[in-house]
Amino acid sequence: MKEYLLLMFGAALVNNVILGRFLGLCPTMGVTTRLDAAVGMGMATTFVMTVAALAGWTVNTFLLAPFELGYLRTITFILIIASTVQFTEMVVKKVSPSLFQLLGIYLPLITTNCAVLGIALLLVDAKMSILTSVLFAIGSAMGFSLVLVIFAGLRERLAVMDVPRLFAGPPIAFIVVSLLALAFMGFSGMGAS
Amino acid sequence: MSQFADSTTDFSAPAMVEGIAQVVKIEGKTAWLVPEQGSSCGSCASAAACGSKGVGTTASRLDNRRFRMDNNANLAVGERVVFGIRDNVLLKASIAAYVIPLATLVLAGSLAQWKFGSDLITMAVMIAGLVIGLWISRLEASRLHSKGDLAPLFLRRARPGETCSS
Repeated sequence: MKEYLLLMFGAALVNNVILGRFLGLCPTMGVTTRLDAAVGMGMATTFVMTVAALAGWTVNTFLLAPFELGYLRTITFILIIASTVQFTEMVVKKVSPSLFQLLGIYLPLITTNCAVLGIALLLVDAKMSILTSVLFAIGSAMGFSLVLVIFAGLRERLAVMDVPRLFAGPPIAFIVVSLLALAFMGFSGMGAS
Repeated sequence: MSQFADSTTDFSAPAMVEGIAQVVKIEGKTAWLVPEQGSSCGSCASAAACGSKGVGTTASRLDNRRFRMDNNANLAVGERVVFGIRDNVLLKASIAAYVIPLATLVLAGSLAQWKFGSDLITMAVMIAGLVIGLWISRLEASRLHSKGDLAPLFLRRARPGETCSS
């Protein structure tokens, strides 16, 4: 139990997917202008990343590895992620059209989120078990959502600040996210002992 | 949401997430609306007006997200309105759609791994857990819908030139 919690904690904070691995920077800048959009995107990414990790592990273990098709891994995983996003969109629409109206706009953006592909490929390289893979994916996605929400909160404050004209908009946002990355580097010294 | 609070701010009032939509159809006391794209995609009103509604285009996607609202304000086709949903609704909707299936998936997987210790069985049980979770989330979504929690509310008519980001 302890190792699972440490794995998720490490994936969320120590090796944060945005601030530690620098993946998923496009949604970080694109959907963090409003807090509600950041929450919606974070939740949707968590779901897709977890289901993609499950599907990726299954395909790699039972198809790519036994038939030595490792060279097809990247393209296969892109297909898996696109299918997972489409599946999620269909399911949410079927489960509740009202939910689809509220949440549907975030889903297509996930297809091109390199964090999802990055984590899926990382899991294969790490040769984890299926439960560990899924928990690692959830931890990574929680770290992703956490940074989106923190950054959205900061940007909502920045929007009403008196920022020098040259720094207004994306420049000050990049400075803030780099300061956040420096703050998250503080977690890298943490050990499990 | 992103404005300074002054002495007249009513913190007891429910916070709203606002959006702009265009009325595309009127059916008695019900108006059908298509939301305009958010600021993050940059092509607000132009996407819905461009006329290219092929599969996978922004316009077709927006059309797919058509929703209805009570037409108490005598709206007409073509009018742009500002609608709102309560701030916590998005969170409730996200929990119903994503958190419940993920929780059942992880719970089922953990139990299977602890009981059988086989990756193959764990995988099968996780998929079953996901399906059960989706079924529970459907029930939860129906409950929220019947309570009217997910329904958008008419706030006002949009000013000329007003966009999602202004």
